[in-house]
Amino acid sequence: MIRILLRCINLLLLLYLMAPIIVVVATSFGSSAYPLFPPNDLTLAWFRKFWENPELREALRLSATLSATSTFLATIIGTLSSLAIVRYRVPGKSFFSVILLSPILFPAIVLALALLVAFQRVGLTQSFKGLVAAHTLLITPFVIRLVMASLEDFDPSLEEAAQNLGAGWWRTFTRITLPLIRPGILAGAVFAFIMSFDELVVTLMLAGPELQTLPIRIFNYVQYSSDPTISAISTCLIAVWLVIGIPVYAKFLSVRHS
Amino acid sequence: MTASEIKNEQELKQEQTTNPRGTLPWFLITPNLLLIGLFMLGPLLLLARISLEGYQSGQGIIETWQLSNYSKFLFDPFYRQVLVGTLVLGAEVTALCLVLGYPLAYSLSRARGLKRAVLYFCILMPLLTSTVVRTFGWMILLANNGFINKTLMSLRLIESPVRLMYNVTGVIVALVEVLLPFMVLALDTALLNIDLSLYEAARNLGARGPRIFLRITLPLSLPGVVSGCVLVFTGALSAFVTPTLIAGARLKVMSTVIYQQAMALLDWPFGAAIAFVMLVTIAVLLVASLQLSERLRNA
Repeated sequence: MIRILLRCINLLLLLYLMAPIIVVVATSFGSSAYPLFPPNDLTLAWFRKFWENPELREALRLSATLSATSTFLATIIGTLSSLAIVRYRVPGKSFFSVILLSPILFPAIVLALALLVAFQRVGLTQSFKGLVAAHTLLITPFVIRLVMASLEDFDPSLEEAAQNLGAGWWRTFTRITLPLIRPGILAGAVFAFIMSFDELVVTLMLAGPELQTLPIRIFNYVQYSSDPTISAISTCLIAVWLVIGIPVYAKFLSVRHS
Repeated sequence: MTASEIKNEQELKQEQTTNPRGTLPWFLITPNLLLIGLFMLGPLLLLARISLEGYQSGQGIIETWQLSNYSKFLFDPFYRQVLVGTLVLGAEVTALCLVLGYPLAYSLSRARGLKRAVLYFCILMPLLTSTVVRTFGWMILLANNGFINKTLMSLRLIESPVRLMYNVTGVIVALVEVLLPFMVLALDTALLNIDLSLYEAARNLGARGPRIFLRITLPLSLPGVVSGCVLVFTGALSAFVTPTLIAGARLKVMSTVIYQQAMALLDWPFGAAIAFVMLVTIAVLLVASLQLSERLRNA
């Protein structure tokens, strides 16, 4: 009896969790001029509208460039720090790992205001450089977490063996360490890219009218108008993140929970 | 040899073989320290300083040392209402997430194989979808002529549409959905940590379902309850996207007031003060929860 009740409750809860996603995806295929759920008739017109809208395409291009640049920097910086902390045993290891992971502890709105105030003084507001700096700061912790986990996973005696056979530290690093942690680095980079691409609050306060990323465009559109084109963009994002994100996210959570 | 001794020996060995080549680790960690120092700690210090400055409309920021921004936020009736309202919203969202998240987490922790994978997927999927997109979905659902109102009316449960947008009810409905996965995952971890032989022992001693739940499952999952509540409360306290999109100007919470002060009114000192009140609230909460979970572990 209790078991059946529990099953019904859980089914309702899963429906509640998935409801907004189902609605967004369904309305992106609907033919009415505003997002209607359930849709009356099916069409692909909104996807074409998204692609033919120059503003949105420019936003997509900007978001992709910004996220790719920040992810590139964050992956290098984060991997180097993970090596320093796990492999080369920097003194004060736990202190440094808390400091380096701390950007995800702060509310985005607080970091956004702090960066706005600081960037105003050095002329970095409303600049691509400023956005790259902010995004790199926000996503590096995700890289560090995943790379640290893969470094902790592998057997240090492999490096030992290489060194006993006469390999220098650089050769040991490029031939042994790097190939073994490559999956961790890749997972960190993918995760960081998604986080950067979806970032809204900090970007919103620093960007200015010339640098409207895709999340900012979506945020402004849904505030002032109701248009299934936004559903179409969202459906595309959901689909892409689903394919590249789920395995990485599961990995990230298992890291956090262990 | 105990496990910890073995571990120490391994660590020692590792230290000898990959010995810290003097400056190398420092060299590797420097870019990241620069990143944190220049773009986080520096700006936060500057923000702290600015929160103590004055502001006069027309004149801009006045360089003084004063506490008036803090006293304005804490004692002015309008802003105190913002603070209290945000904390109450956070508490309501946290309580709902706990009540709704527990049964889901319980089933998740008990499921195995494919069933667990499917459940896990349904909980991860929302986390991977950006908050803006999910809130947009809620805007469609909660509208006056939206799906929820239409369904309730066709079932003749209500006569006219219930207002769900532009008020706190809608924000709670959407925010609970946005933050629920964090609660479920925190509870799932705690529930998975419970030793299964405890259940067996209880059953052998004659305990039945509800009693096992109240005497074993619930008390042993409390660390997960604490960490889940902290995660959700912090998330609700600093939420910006969901309150802005669902309630607009009708509901003022701390983060939307910070945004308004910073972007529309340009009173940065006051915005900075609210930001630090938010940080202190979260810090107090974190310290309290750490002490609570320490006590739970010892009990």
